Order: sequence, then C-alpha cells, then structure tokens
Amino acid sequence: MLSLQHISKYYQVSGLKNFVLNDLSLEIDEGEFVSIMGPSGSGKSSLLNIVGMLDEPSEGYHYFAGHAVHQLKEKQRSALYKQYIGFVFQAYHLIDELTVYENIETPLIYQDFKGAERKAMVADILDRFNIVGKKDLFPAQLSGGQQQLVGIARALIAKPKLLLADEPTGNLNSKQGEEIMELFRKLNKEDGVTIIQVTHSEKNAEYGSRIINLLDGKIESSKQL
Amino acid sequence: MIKNYFKIAWRNLVNNKVYSAINILGLAGGMAVALLIALWVNNEYSYDKFLPNYGQLYQVWRNFNSNGETLTFSSTSLKLADALRNNFPEIEYAAETDGNGSHGLMVGEKKFYLNGSQVGSDFLKMFQYPMLQGNMKDALKDPYSIVLTKATAIALFGSVNVINKTVRIDNKNDLKVTGVLDDLPGNSSLQFKYLIPFAYMEATQAYVKQARSGSFGANAFLIYVKLKSGVSYSQLAPKIKNMEKGENNINAKNSEVILHPMRDWHLYNSWKNGVASGGFIEYVRIFSIIGVLVLLIACINFINLTTARSEKRAREVGIRKAIGSQRKQLIFQFLTESTIITFIAFLFSLLFVQIALTPFNALTGTTIGIPVQSAPFWLITISCVLFTALIAGSKPAFYLSSFNPVKVLKGTIQIGRSASYSRKILVVTQFSCSIALIIGTIVIYRQIQYAKNRPPGYDINRLLTTSSNSDLGKNYQALKDELLQSGAVQSITQASSPATDIYLHNNIDQWPGKFGGETIEMGVVYITGDYFKTLGMQVKQGREYTGIAADTLNLVFNESAIKRLRLKEPLSQPIQYNGNKMKIVGVMKDALMTSPFAKADPTMFVYSTYPQDNLIYRLAPNVNPHSAIEKISSIFAKYNPAYPFTYKFVDDDYNQKFSQEVLIGKLSGVFAALAICISCLGLFGLAAYIAEQRTKEIGVRKVLGATVSQLWFLLSKDFVMLVIISCIIASPIAHYLLQNWLQKYDYRITIGPGVFLVSTFVAIIITLLTISFQAVKAAIANPVKSLRSE
Repeated sequence: MLSLQHISKYYQVSGLKNFVLNDLSLEIDEGEFVSIMGPSGSGKSSLLNIVGMLDEPSEGYHYFAGHAVHQLKEKQRSALYKQYIGFVFQAYHLIDELTVYENIETPLIYQDFKGAERKAMVADILDRFNIVGKKDLFPAQLSGGQQQLVGIARALIAKPKLLLADEPTGNLNSKQGEEIMELFRKLNKEDGVTIIQVTHSEKNAEYGSRIINLLDGKIESSKQL
Repeated sequence: MIKNYFKIAWRNLVNNKVYSAINILGLAGGMAVALLIALWVNNEYSYDKFLPNYGQLYQVWRNFNSNGETLTFSSTSLKLADALRNNFPEIEYAAETDGNGSHGLMVGEKKFYLNGSQVGSDFLKMFQYPMLQGNMKDALKDPYSIVLTKATAIALFGSVNVINKTVRIDNKNDLKVTGVLDDLPGNSSLQFKYLIPFAYMEATQAYVKQARSGSFGANAFLIYVKLKSGVSYSQLAPKIKNMEKGENNINAKNSEVILHPMRDWHLYNSWKNGVASGGFIEYVRIFSIIGVLVLLIACINFINLTTARSEKRAREVGIRKAIGSQRKQLIFQFLTESTIITFIAFLFSLLFVQIALTPFNALTGTTIGIPVQSAPFWLITISCVLFTALIAGSKPAFYLSSFNPVKVLKGTIQIGRSASYSRKILVVTQFSCSIALIIGTIVIYRQIQYAKNRPPGYDINRLLTTSSNSDLGKNYQALKDELLQSGAVQSITQASSPATDIYLHNNIDQWPGKFGGETIEMGVVYITGDYFKTLGMQVKQGREYTGIAADTLNLVFNESAIKRLRLKEPLSQPIQYNGNKMKIVGVMKDALMTSPFAKADPTMFVYSTYPQDNLIYRLAPNVNPHSAIEKISSIFAKYNPAYPFTYKFVDDDYNQKFSQEVLIGKLSGVFAALAICISCLGLFGLAAYIAEQRTKEIGVRKVLGATVSQLWFLLSKDFVMLVIISCIIASPIAHYLLQNWLQKYDYRITIGPGVFLVSTFVAIIITLLTISFQAVKAAIANPVKSLRSE
C-alpha cells in the first residue's frame, strides 16, 4: 500500500544537518497493523507525519497507493490524503467550538459530501461508537477517553484505508487505553483498515501485526507477530 | 460548509465577549465615521442635481484684467444679458437678476422682511423648481406678479391656494400671486423666499430702466443662461469671450465673458487666475481622506486583534488541515468570519450614525438622513462593507491559514512573537493618523483664535444694523433725533454697506502718479455723518467728514487704499472718481470689514447727503440692551409703520465670518477624538493580549521580587515607544499639510514645535491610561495562580 525509500528528514542547525530520519526505507501492505516504537527523539512522530503527508521529507521517495507522493502538488496530495488517510492524535485535537456531532462531520464537509449523506454517515458512526447521547456536547464536557473516541470517530468517518495514530492512548488511563486498542484491533480485522500507530507501551504495541523499533532515525528492528 | 463557518464564527464571538465587543465596536465606530462623512460628502455633491436642466445651466462671470492680475466678478450689465439672449442661438434662455435682497411683504396685518430675487421672465423655465400652483411659462410675465415658496405662502396666507391673491411689496405696490413653488431643498445653491419679475424693477426703479439701455461695463446685475441641449460651453466659449471688448469703457474693455457651470457653483467657488479652481471642494476632499483614514484605523484594529489572537486559533487551523482542509478553504473560512463581524459592525454603525445625525446636522447646518429607501445607497454601502471585510480579514486569513499543522499541533510555534513586527507597524500607522488629526485640530483652533484676537479696527460691541427703506430714509433725521434723545442710542449713521461687509467695488479714474492704462479698483462705502464716530474707527491722518457742504467733494480713504495708490503725502491730493474732481482730506486706520483672515480691503469712504441702505447705530454704554432694543423698536415703529423692526448685532455678523473655520475645527476635533478612541480601543485589546501572553513571565518576575510599578513600566514601555515613533512620523506630515492649509490666510499663525510636543504628550498620556489598566491588572495578579496554570 505504501512504500518509503531512502527517506531522510533533517534540519539545518548552524550549517550542520541534524537528522531526524536518516535514510529510512519501509514497506507497508494493505491490512497490516503496524506499531512503531522507540525512545524519545528517535523519529517516530516525524515518520508518521511523513506517511500522513502532514510533513515532507528532506530527501527520498514516497509512494502511496500507486502515486509518487514526492512529485505531487499540494492540491493533489490533499486530495489523496483526504481519500485515504485518517489521523488520531495523542491530545485528541478536537475543535473546541464545535459539538461532538459537528467535529465528526467536519472532514465530510471538506470532502464535499451532501448534507443528507453526511447526516446518515455521522449518525451511523455515533451509533457504532455508542456516543449518540453525547452528540450535542462540546469537547470540554467530555472525559479524555470519550474525547479520543470522538477523535477516532472523526478519523474514520470518511472510511479511510489507512489510520495513523500518534500515541492514541498517551493521555488516557489504562482501562480507557485498552478499550481504544480493542477498537483498533476490531477495525483492522473486521473492516480491513490498515493502521500505523506510534506508541510507548509494549502492551499496546502487541495489538499490532508488526512492531518496528526506531533508533536515531533508522529502523533498528522489525518484528512480525 | 458555510453553515459550519457561521457556527464557528458565532461561537467564537460569544465565547470571547470582551474581545468581540472591542472588535465590533471599534470597527462600527470607524464605519460610522466613514458613513457619516460619505453622507455629508454625497450631500455636498448633490447640490442642484434635483433640477432637470442641471447640466445646461450656467452663471455669467467676467474675468477682469487689473494690471495683469485676473479678478473674477459676477456683476454684469443688462446689455450683456440682452446680447447673450438675442445674438447666440446656442443660448436657449438668459435671465437677469438683482441677486438676493430683502423686501417687505405685507398681507393685511401680516408683515415680513424676507429675502427674494427679482428675475428675468424665463427664470422658471431654466430653473424648474417643483411648482405647486401656477405654471412656469406665465408665472413671471406680468411685471406686477410674485411667485412665493410654500413656506412664504403659508406664512402670509396660511394656505398654498393663493393664486391671484395680492401681496403688498415695500409698502408701495400690490403684486398678484401667480405661482407657488415647493420649498427649496437645503442642497439648492439659490435660496429665495419669493420671486418677482425683473420687469417690476424696471417699471418701478429709474436706475434699472436706465441700465437697460446702458453700456457693457455698467455692471450691477447677475445673469444666468441655459444652453440648448446638445450645446456645450466649450463650443460657445470662444464666441462670447471677447464680446465686451469693443465698448469704450475700461470695465468692459478689460473684461472677458465666461460661464460658470451650475455643477460647480457649490464646490468650486474660489477664483484664481480666472478659473474656479477651488473652494469648498478642498474641505470635501480633506474630510473624505479623514473618513478613509478613520476606517483604516478601525480595520487595523481588527487585523491586529485577530492576528494577536492567532495563537488561540492556531490549533484549530492545525486540526482542520490534519482532517483534510485545504489552505484556500481556511482562507475562505476566516474571510467568512471577518465578513460576519463586519456586517454586525455595520449594523451597529447604522445605529451610531442615526444617533449622531441630529447633532451632526446641527453642527454642519445640513439636513442629512440615512437614505433607507435608496437602492444605490445599500448597494454601495454593502459593497464597501464587503470590501472592508476583505481588507480587514485578509491579513489574518492568509496568516492564520499558513500555519504548519505539525508545528502548531505540537505547540512548537511561537505565533505571537513572530507576528509582532508587522503588528507594530500597524499600530504605528494607526497612531500616526490619530496624532496627525490631533495636531490638525490644535492648529485649526489656534488659527481661529488668532484671527479672533486680531483687533478689527472698529468696535463691534453694542453695534447694531437695520436695513433701511424709503420710509426710514425719508424720516431719518427725525428718527435719529428721537433715538439719541431716548438715551438708548449713543450714535447713529447710514452707509451703503453694513459694518461687516463692503458691497460696492469701483475704479478710481485719476490719481497722482497713475501709470498709463493702469486701473485701481477698491471698495467704496457711501456714508453719512457720524459714520466713523459710530463705528469707532480712528483717524490716522487729516480729518474725517464734518458735514460741511464741501465734504461731498472730499474723500477719506483707509491706510491700505493709500498704500495701493502709492501716495506718500496723501492729504489734499486730487482724485478723480465717477467723473468728479475730488481731494483727499483724511486717512483712517484700517478696519477689517470683510475677512478677518485677510489683509484689510483698500476702501474709499464717500460722503453722501442721500439716504443709504443700512442704518448702523451703537447702544449707549450703560443701558440694558434688552430694554434699549424695546425702546428703539417703538421709535422705529413710529417712523416705519409698514414693517416689523429687525436688527442684527454686528458682533454676531463678525463672528459669522469664522463659521466655516469653526465648523472645520469642530469636525476635525470630533473626528480626531473618534480616531484616537478607536485606536485606544485597539490598544486596549492588544495590551490585554500581551499581558495574557506574558502572564508566566510576569509571575516569575514577581516571585523574583519585581514591584508593581516595575512591571507596569515593563508592560508599558513598548507601547509608549510605538506612540513616540508615531509622533515622529505624524509631525512632519501634519506640518506640511497644515502649512499648505494656512497659505490661504493672509493673517495666519506660524506653526511652532509646541503643537507637536503637546500632541505627543497628549498621545502618550492617553496611551498610558489605556494600557495601564491591563498592565496593572497583570502586575497585581497573584503569581502563584499564573505559574500553576503552566
């Protein structure tokens, strides 16, 4: 599904290149559930951002669903991104001024879905996630676990092929974390969503089908479960 | 999508009430000022446009060559009127008039002194004022007819159905009402209460009848012409230019005939080198600029406050980008938001304008209203609102939408800091405009005060003027004796002009030292005995008139006139005037009878034994003016039974000369105050934001032992620096513009550094007051709280 070849990401600091990712190559197939691990500063989030097209690599080739991403213009990249990718954040990143319903609906608006269609899709996902009763609340009125649930619902609303999650349970207690992980596993197995998550927790990593360990911007090890 | 944007915008407004209020009120204030000025400017441009033939109407003027200098006069001869009417097929109609004069109208017991015009019979075919009664073709045919305005008809008869009723004029003749016009709107250049056929003047006054067969150069009347449709002035101009040149008369020989189009009458009425180059239009331009500036200041507030708050919005931008928004969608979203805010501000500004219109109209003497029913008005204002929204919203929109989602979501971007430089420039721009307006206001007021403090050269206090008429003229001696005897009046005289004006200008035929072909034109006032004594003017050389018979061949000039005649030893010098050989017996000190801002007019005072049009008298020093006037009134009633007693205080008339400057001063004062208010509103919001942004820093400093005053200084000094920079920028610009404005006054102040220092000081004080509230609030806050919140 996606292929990174010789990807580097660096910042120039007083003439010296400070590498975050260093000549990294990675292939991920459709249907995989990959957990990326590694110490702070090893480049996990940078890798995820590049995969998610929020950030561009300094060097290297990036192919996604048959497209050479490194050659695309912003508009095409945005179109590709909207069609295929959903993003879940550690800090949830819901829009404070919008209700649960409106937060989930927003990606559909950007993808030009018709009003009636949006309504049906949002109702469907609210139902699936069991948060129908919360649809008119604002993010500040929800617990962390509930907010992350909304965050995931929002990421999944447009039926992406690839779900990217940057420490999705980092701000949650262990019980809430487990629920989220169960949800991920279900999405991966039943709906066939490809998932890439960044995590610090061994336990959460083991929900995946492959664990990749990063160190100093390079893949240290890759383990199929 | 739009609905989503509206929601976000609305919730942001509601959640940040203080910030929203500052933003909306600031913008509303700016828009109200701009709208008010726009309405005023529109009113100034609307003059006479209601007349159907607006574009084809002209007034005839003369460019008079006075020793190489071109002076432009409106007074013209009846021969010129006839020649224009009869010899040029391009001219459809021409109408002569005496201008505007006061006459007594009487119906039964009702008597009024009202201003009206005596006009040629085609006048109403040219100026098609809406007629309620009668018709424009015949209304001015019969010499003994009169056309009233609605208000005059109602005042005289209590009704507008007054055709064929009679009005007695000047207690001499009965005129038949042949028409009633609707009242003239405020934006009509010509203002009169009634019209009388010019033929009536010819029938009743010998000098007018003589003038009809007089020559070019016998200038005493005004002429209006209407060109045939399709004919332009440029086609006619070369044909009429030299038509007076053949006359053997210096006034005619040196005159070129020109036309002044009606569309320029109101705004372009100041002549320079024979061209109506300026006038009121200059003020219209200045205020248009001020309106745009104040709106700009308000827009800058909006930009500043919105970008300052960008940190709060940055996360939202990041999320939206992460869930699929393109940059242009975000730009569109923020522009939608600014449009919503601008529209709310617009509604407020309409409210503000509606409230401000009453005092504004009182101040400017206009009758402006919001043209609620006019579609173009809404079209223009709403496009302006959209444009404002675009201007005010585009910077925040482009700036906010440019955030990198990875950085803002990680919180590694320091938005407030990176934007502060451009924000500073905007604050400086804003304050430069405000300070320039403050400087302008101070200078205008000082100029007015300077001219008001200028000694007028005669005593304007307790001095009154009453228009004379045939009864008063006949009974003058008895009136004078009785007034003096009553003890209410100290002194009385008659003159051809009131004390505050000079109606007549004429040429001196001969004087010692005259160059060949030279002409000198100066003000002429015909006076009777006691004139100088009554006005309180002082003799500089020689003597004033004593009333002896020989005085009719003696002349008294003022200093400026002597200077213009280049006479070193003026006394006893021979002067030829009006064909009479006369000699100079005295020189008076200059008096400011025309403009208090200009040099004194060169003036010649001619002694006359005939009654004159104006009675000028001074109240006795120790009488109560109120009871004195009652006494005077009863004496006037005895000698002038047909008319009500009317009078004017000369000091009121004199102060009237400052009215335009006072109006400009008041307006610029009001707008300067508003501009500074709006700027401060923005500063207040900005200071609140900065204080919020530096909460942690302030907490740490406080823990380390900083006092409240040190923290206050820390938070204030940046703003004070900005204001000082603004002053440095505003001062030279204001100096340049004001120096230009002052050039039009002969008698003017010099702009010293004091004005700029005072303005700077005022601006700094206002700035400190504005931001201190926020600074002190931040400084006295408990540091424990602010540090814990980190």
